[in-house]
Amino acid sequence: MGGKVTCTLGEVKQRADFIVYWGGNPAECHPRHFTKYTLMQKSKFLPRGRKDRTVVLVDIRETKSAKAADHFLQVRPGKDFELLTIMRAMIKGQDVPEAQVAETGISIEVLRDLIEKMKKAKYGVMFFGMGLSMTRGKHMNAAALLTFAAEMNAFTKFVAMPMRGHGNVTGADVIMRWQTGYPFGISLNRGYPRYNPGEFSTVDVLVRGDTDCAFIIGADPGATMPKPAIDHLAKVPTIVLDPHVTHTSRLSRVHITTAPAGIAAPGTGYRMDEVPMPLKPALNSPYPSDEEVVRRIKEVIATKPDWMTNQPQMIESQV
Amino acid sequence: MLRITGGTVYDPANGIDGEVKDLYIADGRFSSKFEAGRTIDATGMVIMPGGVDVHTHVAGGSINFARAMTPEDHRRTHAFIRSKTRRSGIGGMAPTTFATGYLYAGMGWTTVNEAAVPVLSARHTHEELRDIPIVDKSSLVLMANNEIILDLLEEGEDERAKHILAWHIWAAKSYGVKAVNPGGVASWKYGNDAKHLTSKIDGYDHVTPGTIITKFAKMIDELGIPHPLHLHCNNLGAPGNVETTLETMRHLEGSRAHFAHLQYHAYGGDDWGNMRSEAAQLAEYFNAHPNMTTDAGAVLFGDTVTITADGPWQHLLYKLTGRKWGNLDVENETGCGIVPYTYRPSNLVNAIQWAVGLELLLLINDPWRVFLSTDHPNGACFWRYPEIIQLLMCADYRNECMANLPPNIKNKISLPEINREYTLYEIATITSAGPSRALGLSHKGDLGIGKDADFVIYHRDHDIARMFGHPRYVFKGGEIVIEEGDIRETPDGREYLVQPSYDPEIDKFLRPLFEDRYCMSFENYPVEMERIERSQIQDCITPESEG
Repeated sequence: MGGKVTCTLGEVKQRADFIVYWGGNPAECHPRHFTKYTLMQKSKFLPRGRKDRTVVLVDIRETKSAKAADHFLQVRPGKDFELLTIMRAMIKGQDVPEAQVAETGISIEVLRDLIEKMKKAKYGVMFFGMGLSMTRGKHMNAAALLTFAAEMNAFTKFVAMPMRGHGNVTGADVIMRWQTGYPFGISLNRGYPRYNPGEFSTVDVLVRGDTDCAFIIGADPGATMPKPAIDHLAKVPTIVLDPHVTHTSRLSRVHITTAPAGIAAPGTGYRMDEVPMPLKPALNSPYPSDEEVVRRIKEVIATKPDWMTNQPQMIESQV
Repeated sequence: MLRITGGTVYDPANGIDGEVKDLYIADGRFSSKFEAGRTIDATGMVIMPGGVDVHTHVAGGSINFARAMTPEDHRRTHAFIRSKTRRSGIGGMAPTTFATGYLYAGMGWTTVNEAAVPVLSARHTHEELRDIPIVDKSSLVLMANNEIILDLLEEGEDERAKHILAWHIWAAKSYGVKAVNPGGVASWKYGNDAKHLTSKIDGYDHVTPGTIITKFAKMIDELGIPHPLHLHCNNLGAPGNVETTLETMRHLEGSRAHFAHLQYHAYGGDDWGNMRSEAAQLAEYFNAHPNMTTDAGAVLFGDTVTITADGPWQHLLYKLTGRKWGNLDVENETGCGIVPYTYRPSNLVNAIQWAVGLELLLLINDPWRVFLSTDHPNGACFWRYPEIIQLLMCADYRNECMANLPPNIKNKISLPEINREYTLYEIATITSAGPSRALGLSHKGDLGIGKDADFVIYHRDHDIARMFGHPRYVFKGGEIVIEEGDIRETPDGREYLVQPSYDPEIDKFLRPLFEDRYCMSFENYPVEMERIERSQIQDCITPESEG
């Protein structure tokens, strides 16, 4: 288990004749997604556009996205992993006890019909949202779906993609990977990158009170994180760079207003399929860009003595 | 200014084979005179031009995908610790960008060519290349499965296809063109492949892999791109694929071509059980056809991660190994697949692959046409090149290694019968002078007056792997970057581009096709020139410049 079988969004636009949304509500959370990339577009391979595509929504409640779907499967809350595992067994023709199927809230007939349609598709795609990846089971749910998509390739072409949001979070992930090898949850306190989500993720570091300073760029943990994490942010010197005054700004020692990226500051935004888009500012801003502020802080820090001295250039092995 | 005295110089570009010779450096280049400045006494040491990697994967969407998929390797491998002048990083199977620069320079390599860039994510590749310190860089754009071009070839609109090709080379700010499994990757979009030169390509009635290959080589020659068509043949990795490779070579007679990682394309037999090396047959044909160059794509035993635009092959490798599988289909253009892999000496197929890489390097008799590569990270990581140099220079060591191979490999490989040992002069050719010439980088891989002062000073050592793994000094642009394993300076390298000419009206033709297939604005597609730091545009070859 592991890996990711995926594509860029233009492939979905051109080829995807079978589209599954799992634990996501693009109609409300990604309002341009249906029209621009997936449902409504016509292409050389799908000349009738929406009519040439089958759309399935799997979610715990009938959201607005259900209206856009041909089939809606209401999975019982917390049963996504079980449902995915049952479907993985069923595509391989393995027997699944009906009682277990019933626990997911979906009938076996519905699943049989769905799997038959999936296998008949020419290019299937599964999009998954935080309703899958941030509920009970978390990354195990996402891994089950990604494996399901990979295994579907024994029958026809299938890919999967997370429905990501929150600005340029993908860009941060991409750059952290090329600079440190890891996407997030990284500690640099030994002078080289170490990775352990659950230990080095921001929320965990803050809840444990492991940091004596916080530098927040374009994020608002003060609005979303648990209370112990927020309390710690208020206790230590917290510096916020943001175009707006945020909840985090209000509990910080320093707030520096920066130009909004893409509107008044240039850069690169990585789309959720990791396609890099140039950000071309339309307006001038009296405020500096995040990049400029970080560079100037870095220049000042560079004049101070290095706190980490007498370290070797390299270590041969970390374990 | 700088003077290097007393060193034994191996400079194949100027026919210098082990002469004691002083070198003078001024303003980053070799100079004819020395007035004042530091002198380094290199008496008893070996001097060679800095290594040039003609085929590696170090930056962009695919290697970054591989990094994401292999955190377990990052955790156990070597780590660079940051200082005031150096960035931290991770080595291993898919090194991070800063570590990539340090590791290449650390073994005396000073120029690298990133061999596979989709236009759609070229902006990303250039951002990563900018974060690889010390070495100079270039990149090749993936075009042989671009459906806009395939459509034109299908309709016989070859002239227009050529303009479109040139447009894309410049849009991606690349240095040349890479073709990966031509037609096969396009077919993979619907789960198929195109293994042979006459195979049907999904969605096309006339154009075949054979047509794509011949037409691409011709277009690239007509455009005068300094580096020829850089070709990853169809049917990679499969037993019996030597027939496809030879057929491809026959298609390319009369054109220039570079065959990437030939090791993966030199197998006989018809299944995994009776697979055998056909390196000898391939080398014989190759030796007789001077229009071609190749890089070995040699394999070393150990853990690595395979990454390629060859999506269908990676699906097969996933099915064979049951390990993690990454796949990325790139709209209209290409694909990408990632599978971690371990080459084991006890595995007959792996053992044959190990032998084939060395056989090709040893049986192709012109070191100006075969270059050292592992198709990093596919065959092995680039930082293991010194081990391959040892295998090439020491027949005894090779025989020792062969003793660990499975006994049933007998009669499946020809390596035991090969006694050739590379000389230092030949090593300097396959690692530097040759790949520089194949890339058309005439100021690289050459210690002549006016050329870039990228060179390496080695201690002489009977342990060849140690000698090449631990240079005494590495110079980049006349500056000491490595001294006895210590990173001294981390200058930013240059990026080489080409700007082939095309009909400016081609924009009007391309725009509606683009808008139909892609999902971004046409204006946002080309990489802006100002995003390339320290760019250097190399001239295309014109009939006049060819003389």
